Amino acid sequence: MSQFASSAGSKPALKVRGRRVSFKTVIAFVFFGILLVTQLYPLLWLLIYSLKTNEEILSGSFFALPAQWQWSNYQGAVEGGNYFRYLGNSLFVTITTMAGVILLSSLAAFAITRFRWKYGQLVMLLFLLGMMIPMQGTLLPLMIIFKNLHILDTHLALILPYMAFQMPIAVFILSGFLRSIPHEIEESAIMDGAGAFRIFRSVILPVSIPPMMTVCILTFINVWNEYILAATFISSEKLKTLPFGVYSFVSQYSVNYGAIGAFLVLAALPVIVVYFLLAEKITKGMVAGAVKG
Amino acid sequence: MNVLKVSRWTIAAFILPCLIVYVGLVFVPILVSLYSGMLDWNGIGKSTFVGFHNYVKMFTHDSVFWPSVRRTFTLAGFSMLVQVPIALFVAVLITRFVRRPNFLVSSYFLPVILSVAIIGQLWKTIYNPASMGGMINGILTSLGLESWTHSWLTEPKIAIYSIILVSLWQYLGYHILIQFTGIQNIPSEIYEAAKIDGADGFKADRYITLPMVLPILKISIVLSFIGSLQSFDLIMVMTGGGPAHATEVLASHMYNMSFITMKYGYGSAIANVLIAMCLIATVLINALFNRLDKRYS
Amino acid sequence: MTKRKMKWFGMAMTGVLAFSLSACGGGGSGTTNNASGDGGKTEPAANASTDSSKPAENITITFQNIYPDASDPKNQMMKKIVDAYEKEHPNVKIELDSLNTDQQKLKLKTQAASKEVPDITVVNPAAQMQPFVDADLFAPLNDMVEQNGLKDTFQSGILDYYTFDGNLYALPDGNNIGVVYYNKKLMEEGGVKVPTTFEEMLEAVKTLKGKGIQPMVIGEKDSWTGSFLFMNILLRTNGGPGFLKDVLDGKKTFEDPAYVAAIKAFEDLVQAGAFQDGATSFDYNAGENLFKTGKAAMYYMGSWATGGIETAEVSKDGNVGVFQFPTVGGKGNPDEFMLAPGSAFAISKDSEHLQETKDFLNYFMLNFPKEAFEAKGAVGIAQNVDGDFKAAGYSDMAMNVLDLFKKVKGGDLAFDNTMNPGTTQAHLSGTQSLFVEQKDPAEVAKELQAAYEDNK
Repeated sequence: MSQFASSAGSKPALKVRGRRVSFKTVIAFVFFGILLVTQLYPLLWLLIYSLKTNEEILSGSFFALPAQWQWSNYQGAVEGGNYFRYLGNSLFVTITTMAGVILLSSLAAFAITRFRWKYGQLVMLLFLLGMMIPMQGTLLPLMIIFKNLHILDTHLALILPYMAFQMPIAVFILSGFLRSIPHEIEESAIMDGAGAFRIFRSVILPVSIPPMMTVCILTFINVWNEYILAATFISSEKLKTLPFGVYSFVSQYSVNYGAIGAFLVLAALPVIVVYFLLAEKITKGMVAGAVKG
Repeated sequence: MNVLKVSRWTIAAFILPCLIVYVGLVFVPILVSLYSGMLDWNGIGKSTFVGFHNYVKMFTHDSVFWPSVRRTFTLAGFSMLVQVPIALFVAVLITRFVRRPNFLVSSYFLPVILSVAIIGQLWKTIYNPASMGGMINGILTSLGLESWTHSWLTEPKIAIYSIILVSLWQYLGYHILIQFTGIQNIPSEIYEAAKIDGADGFKADRYITLPMVLPILKISIVLSFIGSLQSFDLIMVMTGGGPAHATEVLASHMYNMSFITMKYGYGSAIANVLIAMCLIATVLINALFNRLDKRYS
Repeated sequence: MTKRKMKWFGMAMTGVLAFSLSACGGGGSGTTNNASGDGGKTEPAANASTDSSKPAENITITFQNIYPDASDPKNQMMKKIVDAYEKEHPNVKIELDSLNTDQQKLKLKTQAASKEVPDITVVNPAAQMQPFVDADLFAPLNDMVEQNGLKDTFQSGILDYYTFDGNLYALPDGNNIGVVYYNKKLMEEGGVKVPTTFEEMLEAVKTLKGKGIQPMVIGEKDSWTGSFLFMNILLRTNGGPGFLKDVLDGKKTFEDPAYVAAIKAFEDLVQAGAFQDGATSFDYNAGENLFKTGKAAMYYMGSWATGGIETAEVSKDGNVGVFQFPTVGGKGNPDEFMLAPGSAFAISKDSEHLQETKDFLNYFMLNFPKEAFEAKGAVGIAQNVDGDFKAAGYSDMAMNVLDLFKKVKGGDLAFDNTMNPGTTQAHLSGTQSLFVEQKDPAEVAKELQAAYEDNK
């Protein structure tokens, strides 16, 4: 894509830091800049918010800084919101969910796209149907299922439905990717007499890393902030996840907004760090996964 | 072509673990929901089987239902016809002008990660009356355009559009990311060849980028449609569906009916209609893109 | 060869399964006897055999509650009493499942549908708990409330709201009334006096508005706030309590002149500009905060708001007073209040440790008034409090509220405590709509009557 950046240089231009930059480029960058401000502002706003008193927050003015920086909000968030315990639980639930989704969906995607059997398309359709199902609608049936499985109030009661709800999109992306890579790559392995599992493990898995990253990030986004299922299926303090912490500052007739802000900053921090570290892989993964869906 | 020949057992081993979890926890609940959609049930006590009565009532007697459907599709329409094209435009611009695009694309994506609770509260301060420091009304007042100021979230005719704007803003980065990666995946040889033929700049975008990016555009549109139909948390945070149901959408109507008004059977029926709508729309979108695909290739 | 692969795969799957199971088992092992985990059914036996030397079996009681915020006095009170009880009863562990109100309601409904109600849960009075009682989910507390004289600690009559067919099913933590808080300084600046009739109130609103002072505030995004005020107007226009009961008994309809007059009066208040711009997008807290930060002259709310208001900036130098909601059109008695019996603790009928749970709740409620008094949260609790409020440092405003409590000569419950949820929702959105457009009162009443018939 770099060729486009240079090709723009032949138009009427002005100089920036000694480089010739076209007028169009300037307009484009001003546009990018405005968009950047609008998209990044919430983060800054949240940071300021997390350091205000309830009264300052509720008075609702958009730009104001706090009169006194309320660092105690963070103390309240960590202690009152049980931050570290909930963080540990959230990490465990989210990572297990991601691992489960990746493993099971890639096996399924492999079977759907690479095996010769007549029900492949049917299974694919079944999975597509799942993308349309709203999670809240399944709350009550899930409760009854988990009661009979005796897994209420365990992390399994979260991991299983989280996995199940991520599988449709995961299978969709992964099988889209697998269809886009030519059959030749496993041909030599087939010649060597390798079986399905070895091909999956040593040929398919290594090349599927990018779309798997995509699945990971989508799973993460959907699971990390999930509260309705968590609040319904988990009762024990030691098993609760981060969103419990956020809502623990909401009482019947009062809300501790500053602490919520501080807690949200603390809860979003790991996500943002991980996201920027993985950004390059993620963008590549999206490409790879979506191309021939 | 060499295709793997495998036994039935191998297929089962690959597909069953995923299928069992999925069918057991997503599909079975939907079958249950199909059944409870035919019940008169408060969700707690005894239930009565009423057949299709809930659906008849929904289509003929529920004064909230049809306006909710209309608003749901308005949201979906804006998302598909405004948000996705803007995202595509931004993605094209980024590919064209930016050498190291990762930071930019990632930053645009950030609002997707933040909790809806905080997004809602932020935008409330933007929409507030000028007397309470609301940004939009404040700016309008200082420009001397006081007649343009509105109570953005409480005027029944405006409120839903105010919320739609937030939703478009929040998920813009999501679609930019998808489109951008799609464009990156177009082999550069095609552009080289086109350049020799005299197709450059936006002309190249019209004849190469657009057709090549169609499959991804389809994914983006399907995702934005399904996302719009299911989204209700932003509405719950910003207006709670009010004033007087003026910002109610199908998903929030379903939630209210199932759990607040305690008509669980009726709520299930709404959920089933929602799923059916998603299905039909996905099929239609697919058909449309297949036609587009044929025309371009 | 495929066989060998199968083995590899099988091992991998077993590994994953073992990993997830052990991980979950590890997390769940402490919840041995948790009411909502059926694993408890087998494990107590194991425990009993190993701990046979000990006199009492180790048990866990799940206590679902709506006091999640550690900085909230109620949360601190709860933890204090629970700690004390656990110390006295080393074999009992109280597992606190603290949730915010909305989530607790949703959770309990879901649990009730699958008969998985926790040992102790929270319900709202009268009509709101009726479906749970009908589904036979709660244990009667008639015997328990007699133990240790617990029954006599409750204010007379309050337990009736939680009693069905002679069985008491829940014990309330609160009992409040609807009052009007006012900002003395702003009233003075506006040159208005405390209104003694609704008509004076309207005049005061107009005068304040004219001087650029926000007359009243409300958090109408949570539509029960407007309904609570509306019901107080109805209590006056009806000339006394019992309107909704008459509707339920078929003696009146919502198209009754009293109800239409109440809508008219409520609309007059809205149209006079009493409430802040965009009131329907303010939630309860944001609305109340406007009053707490001294931005409004009057605020109608349940007396539970007292604690929050007296610690706010606006209350400095005794700046906040309270008054009774006035007569409307010369009708009604100001000594009749909107009554708000609070959320209440109920015990699951299927609790595995029914007796122990009853013992604990008995202890909890016995200690509740004393701890609430010390935490300065005893205004508006459901039990009698021994102690000198003034000497304990309660504010003048709190004392005023307590004085109003003494004047109470009956009143009405909130709409949702009397009517079923379907009718309630129609009423709530009907009332909310008055904030955004002017409607014909008769039309609003007619719509509600239709909704009532529909939801019968």
